[in-house]
Amino acid sequence: MGVSGVVDGPVADHVCWSYDEPGTFDAFAEGFLADGVAAGHQVWCVAPAGAVLAGRLRERFPAEIRRGAVRVVDPAATYVPAAGPHEQVRLYADATDAALAAGYGGLRVAADVTAMLHGPEQVAAFARYEHHADRLVRARPFSAVCGYDRRALGAAAVERIACLHTASNVAGLPFRLSASAPGGGAAELAGEVDAAGRELFADALELADLRPTGGELVLDAAGLRFADHRALLLLDAYARERAAVLVLRGAAGATAHVAALLGLAAVRVEGAR
Amino acid sequence: MRTGAAAGRTGYFHEALLYGSDDEFLAVAVPFLVGGAEAGEPTVVALGERTAGLVRAELPAGADVAFLGGGDTYARPAAAIRTYRELLARLTAGGAGQVRIIGELQRVHMGSTWDWWARYEAAINRAFDDWPLWSMCAYDTRVASPAVVGEVLRTHPFVACPDGSHRPSPAFVEPAAYLAHPPDATPDPLERTAPAVSITDPTAAQARAAAAAVAGPLLGGPDADGLVIAVSELVTNAHRHGAPPVRLDVWAAADRVVATVRDGGAGPADPYAGLLPAGDGTGTGGLGLWIAFQSCNHVALRREPGAFTVRLTAGNACLPD
Repeated sequence: MGVSGVVDGPVADHVCWSYDEPGTFDAFAEGFLADGVAAGHQVWCVAPAGAVLAGRLRERFPAEIRRGAVRVVDPAATYVPAAGPHEQVRLYADATDAALAAGYGGLRVAADVTAMLHGPEQVAAFARYEHHADRLVRARPFSAVCGYDRRALGAAAVERIACLHTASNVAGLPFRLSASAPGGGAAELAGEVDAAGRELFADALELADLRPTGGELVLDAAGLRFADHRALLLLDAYARERAAVLVLRGAAGATAHVAALLGLAAVRVEGAR
Repeated sequence: MRTGAAAGRTGYFHEALLYGSDDEFLAVAVPFLVGGAEAGEPTVVALGERTAGLVRAELPAGADVAFLGGGDTYARPAAAIRTYRELLARLTAGGAGQVRIIGELQRVHMGSTWDWWARYEAAINRAFDDWPLWSMCAYDTRVASPAVVGEVLRTHPFVACPDGSHRPSPAFVEPAAYLAHPPDATPDPLERTAPAVSITDPTAAQARAAAAAVAGPLLGGPDADGLVIAVSELVTNAHRHGAPPVRLDVWAAADRVVATVRDGGAGPADPYAGLLPAGDGTGTGGLGLWIAFQSCNHVALRREPGAFTVRLTAGNACLPD
């Protein structure tokens, strides 16, 4: 189940929505949740009771609110500052199970999380969580749109988070390091990584903290249009730190060429196109 | 222990073999190869098809001499250096006291791309000096112009003569000094025409998109990919190490795409820039130009007052004389 237009990504089931005008998030989230209702999912609006979006949902879906198909959930009840990314995601995994058990097709959530993020450390902690949430979205009938007020957080913080989502409305985001489709690798890397996006890329790799399987760390790279030599050196160092060989699966022939020139011991390009 | 003319030397013994007839060529090449094989030294031939055939016919049966495809070996200078360095490291790690190689550039190398092969001949004096290598670079003076022969004598410290002697080249110039003032690249007439694309201060991503838009439909495949890689690395370098403004121009002809990346700086100070990696890429860089040299069919560096330009050619870099 996806949404059309506006967002860039393979599946629009985990959307980072950055806004300067809160109204644009409310409008997108309302449509996103309405799609969920129409598809028979339970939907959660994670917002204070007095939020504009909550009010609109109460107006639009009074019957669904009454029977619990649409819920307005207090952010304090869903986001626990002390929880690690795994515990935080567990909460949504359990809620997805509960929705399925109650006969819904899945769980769909809209949450503006801006107010919970104070400073780079909280942004980093939340970004780690978002990567795990991205995995949950790919694995289960769980979907979410996360709202970020760029005026409060700054463009750089929003980019840190946005590049870990399968989809976002952030313009000019150079790459995406998101969860792979079920049966795929450790993550999916798409877009372009060069000197301009290098710091963001290094940061995303650290935040995602990808774990090798059987000595290999597979990145699904069919959507990776370009990686410069510094990006490949970074991946090589990342793989060595994890005592693994990093496999760029389905990367472009150009990426294979540069990797071969560099003679990287810990990076292998497989199935170059 | 080293045998033959290089006995008692350390590092690279780099000789030119200038010959005017097949007999002169064989008079030097065959004893060189037989001597290497008899001494148990790894002995390698990287000649063109015709001269390799001449040598093969004269070698004793069973002589332990390896033949490489000369055309593959000498596709691009920086790649030839990398390939030979890997080969030398491997052979000497196996305990070889000396490695002997005879190689030959072809007529195709001595035209509009000769400038980067001349730089190659100078640079390998250092690039191969880590190993006990004795090599002969054969040049057929019926093919090589006097100007080419002049550069050969300036880049080779020794000359192997058909009479069996080995003499210092009186014209030899220390490689760093030679590379500080290398021969000019042949101008490409495309550069005098209006470019298909011209962008001032492009980002690397914009430069890649521009190069791909021109080279993709025309050349496709590895040639187009190589140009995109090179343009990206050079625009990144220009912003990082050069001075503004940075300009990208791209021209297209039926058989090639030419791109220039110009900035207002002085260019790299390293005389070996492009031919050898200048670092491991993690610190101040040095790999971008080296990657560009291995991704295009010709790369020329041009220094003028207040401007440094790298010209890249994808597709056919061999212009008619």
